[in-house]
Amino acid sequence: MSETQTKVDHSVIRTNQATIIILLLIGFILNFPWLVTLTALVMIIGTVIKRPGFAFIYTSWLKPRNWVKPDVLQDNPEPHRFAQGFGAVVLTISTIALITGAGVLGWALTWLVIALASLNLFIGFCAGCAVYYWLNRLKVPGFGKSAPVGTFPGMRPKASSS
Amino acid sequence: MTPAWLIRTSLALAIIASGWLVFKLVTYLSLNRVRKIAHRLENYQPGKAAIVYFTTPDCLACKAAQHPALVRLQSLLGDQLQVIEINAYEDPDMAKDWGVLSVPTTFILDSKGAPRQVNYGVTPAEKLYDQLRQTQPQAI
Repeated sequence: MSETQTKVDHSVIRTNQATIIILLLIGFILNFPWLVTLTALVMIIGTVIKRPGFAFIYTSWLKPRNWVKPDVLQDNPEPHRFAQGFGAVVLTISTIALITGAGVLGWALTWLVIALASLNLFIGFCAGCAVYYWLNRLKVPGFGKSAPVGTFPGMRPKASSS
Repeated sequence: MTPAWLIRTSLALAIIASGWLVFKLVTYLSLNRVRKIAHRLENYQPGKAAIVYFTTPDCLACKAAQHPALVRLQSLLGDQLQVIEINAYEDPDMAKDWGVLSVPTTFILDSKGAPRQVNYGVTPAEKLYDQLRQTQPQAI
C-alpha cells in the first residue's frame, strides 16, 4: 500500500466533474461540438498543471461563498490526474470524430465521459483511478501509487483528513 | 417539425433514465445476492426491522453523521428497531459478501431478515425512517 498519501479536497474533484457533465450535456443538447473541444482543452491544461481543470470555479466562487464545503481526504492525487487525462484523451478523440463528420462516434464518446464522471460524482467510483491502481498492481512504470488502506481501488477513500 | 434541440434533449433524458434504470438493476441484483446470505447474520433478532450498518473506526463521516443519525432513529423507534453495526476491518469477509465497497453503507432489513434497501454513503435519519416505514408500514 502507498504510504505517501497527501490531502486531497474531494469537493474540488466533484466540482470539476459536475462542470464537465453540465458542459458536455449542454454541448450535446445544443449540438455545440466546440463545447466538447473547450472541455477537453481545460481538462488537458488541468492535467498538465496537475490540478482539476475546473478547480477555479470551486476556489474562486463556490468555496469563498461557502456554497460548497471542503471535503479533505487522505488520498493520492495522481490517479485523479490520470483519470482527468484519460477523459481529456477520450474527449479529444470525440472532437476529432465530430469535426470529421463521425457524429455518432463523437457523441457516443462524449456520453462515455458523462457516464464515467457521473459514476464518480454520484456513486464515488472513479473508473480512471481504478485503471491507475490496476496498472500499479501490474507494476507498470509511472503508476507508483496504490489504493489508500481499506479502500476498494477507485472508490472514494473512507477516512477524512484530520 | 420538431426542433433539433428538443429531440436531443429527449435523447439525453432517455440516456439518463437508462443509466438510472441500470443503477437500480445493479442495486436490485446486489440486494438479491445479499438476500441469500443475510440469514447468516449474527445478533439478528427475527420479527424486528433492522439496519445493518457497515463502518470502520477511521471513518469520520460515520462518526460525525451516520452514527448520530442511527442513535436518533434508535431512540425514536426503541424496541421496534435493531441496529447491527459491523466493523468492515474486523469482518472483511462479511463486507465483501455484502458487496460493501465504501463506508458508511446501510442495509434495511425487514422483519423476516430480508434486505430491502441499500444506501451507499451517509444517509439521513429521515430517509432511513421512510425506508423502514416502507418496509414495515404496520409496525413503524
